[in-house]
Amino acid sequence: MAATVRKIAATPAPHRYKPETADTVMALYKDDATHHGEAASWLKELGYSALTTLETQGLPIPRLERWKYTNLLPALKGKMDNGLGAAQISVTNGDNYVQKLSDALADEPQWLVDILSADAAGAEEYHDMALWALSNVFMMDGLVVDIPAGKAVDKSVDISIDGQDKTLSMPRIVVRLGEGAELTIIERLSGKDAHWNNALTQIIVGKNAKLRHYRIQECGDDVVLTQNTHVQIERDGNYEAFTLTCGAGLSRNQIHAEILGENANCDLYGINLLNGSQVGDTTITVDHKAPHCTSNQFYRNVLNGQAKGVFQGKVHVHQIAQKTDGYQLSNTLLLSDTAEMDTKPELEIYADDVKCSHGATTGQLDDEPLFYLRSRGLSEMAAKALLIEAFTNEVIEKLADEPFKEVVSAKCEEWLRDVI
Amino acid sequence: MIKIKNLHAEIDGNEILKGLNLEVGAGEVHAIMGPNGAGKSTLSYVLAGREGYDVTAGEVELDGQSILELAPEERAAAGLFLAFQYPVEIPGVQTTNFLRTALNSIRKQRGEEELDALAFLKLLKRTTAELQISDEMIKRAVNVGFSGGEKKRNEVLQMAMLSPKLAVLDETDSGLDIDALKIVAEGVNKMRAKDRSFIVITHYQRLLDYIEPDYVHILANGQIVKSGGPELAKELEAKGYAEFIKEAA
Repeated sequence: MAATVRKIAATPAPHRYKPETADTVMALYKDDATHHGEAASWLKELGYSALTTLETQGLPIPRLERWKYTNLLPALKGKMDNGLGAAQISVTNGDNYVQKLSDALADEPQWLVDILSADAAGAEEYHDMALWALSNVFMMDGLVVDIPAGKAVDKSVDISIDGQDKTLSMPRIVVRLGEGAELTIIERLSGKDAHWNNALTQIIVGKNAKLRHYRIQECGDDVVLTQNTHVQIERDGNYEAFTLTCGAGLSRNQIHAEILGENANCDLYGINLLNGSQVGDTTITVDHKAPHCTSNQFYRNVLNGQAKGVFQGKVHVHQIAQKTDGYQLSNTLLLSDTAEMDTKPELEIYADDVKCSHGATTGQLDDEPLFYLRSRGLSEMAAKALLIEAFTNEVIEKLADEPFKEVVSAKCEEWLRDVI
Repeated sequence: MIKIKNLHAEIDGNEILKGLNLEVGAGEVHAIMGPNGAGKSTLSYVLAGREGYDVTAGEVELDGQSILELAPEERAAAGLFLAFQYPVEIPGVQTTNFLRTALNSIRKQRGEEELDALAFLKLLKRTTAELQISDEMIKRAVNVGFSGGEKKRNEVLQMAMLSPKLAVLDETDSGLDIDALKIVAEGVNKMRAKDRSFIVITHYQRLLDYIEPDYVHILANGQIVKSGGPELAKELEAKGYAEFIKEAA
């Protein structure tokens, strides 16, 4: 097997890695012929390089700073007994702008080759991008959503993703909006069978383009979801993301936004509703690499039972990014004494003329508003439900898409009815 | 309407109410005046059923029904309303939705049919028009960003919508300028009726110029130390609390 192994960009931090943790997934890698036999040379090279990364780093473990609060390995037990499996992806709407990844690759458009073979974004800094590498090793199925310049797509592209029983799947979604294009994507993940879904989404929001990217994740408790989203926003571009997480035994919603051109805006919103022994992790890096841009992170978490929430949010303002306006807030309501929230808000600022703020609160429902509502005739349960709904509503209100807001409100109410 | 007999109540083991007796007949307005620390707010919270206020002795009957064992929402359904001294802000809950949820919760508990959106809006429109409350105010989240006057008017609006048998006004005048006070008092006066009673708790005589009581009681050290007609408030204004407390002791 003659292959050039590309040098990986990340400087390894060997003492923190446990390479053998990748053995389980490496065992799924049969031979070169199976995975890369027919593939183009760039794709082979990408696969080999990723293989090296994976073999060196192993899977993420709590010894790595960014995985301190979320222990992935134990959650994976029994999720891959049937080996690799294709993700079940279905799409409604989208016209001819949406293609299967394999079809889109047939004539190897350069932009797509470039974005697929880009280094794991953030790898240099964090040394924990093994999951991105994993996605490259087993690149199988996915979608390419490519909206030409100037096109505003009326109907939202609705994508539903599921995994097969006891398999590891690697859905890869690439989205590109040309200059001035507008699009709404709604992803739904609701699989119930035990599986591990290691999803990777790469997005380019072109100049003056606008993408609303919404997700509703209500998978079963036996599902492990690691979702990595990397978005690049160009000048005057606008990216609005929202995730409702109320499913999966363990989920990691990892977003890395790079703001590359002036006057761009990035809004990251989310609601995490966790119960039982669920773990929901939101890990964000927003890189401000151009002046006069704004970014918002606004997350609200409601935790019940022994659920555990994690919020790690970082705003990194590079020296060039003067006049940045960066805002970050995570608020958590604990409904039980046994629920746990770990938050780590971070600001890293190298420019001197910026406005940035961050904050995190964790608490229980206040007695005062509860008593106020009950004195007006609401039962204790109804009063609690109203206050929790109000808490999550404040995120929903930020969203631009009216019909979607109603969908999310209804989901939140449904969750509450089951929990209290 | 309400009978309070030998009421003792404590917070964290400290006795605040020490054998309070009060009887308010249907359609009557009783003012309770007292210095800071007399137990005015404790009385209002004990009546409304707030957690943390332990009744150690005594009895409270509303319309013949003992209420001390009832949850706050059950007391509301039984016809008790407390206008808070400090109305609570509830971000994310629109005032209109709040009013409708409250009204229908009470109707449901009473075994009455819930009001549909249309019937509710009719009632709300009529009530806000009477109280001169703007549509804009009831579209906002409950008490969020409201001025002191707006908060108290919102309490009166809730009272009017829920139409209680007994309304307890806990220092409704605190923090209000004279114009806001007049508006709030006017709202309360409109609600005076043969079958509705009021307990007006206040520190100052001023409020009673606008809401004229039938009886005035002076509360000091957890007990009613003196009762009389409206003239008692004027006497109190002239002499100050110290005189009366001394008299009682």
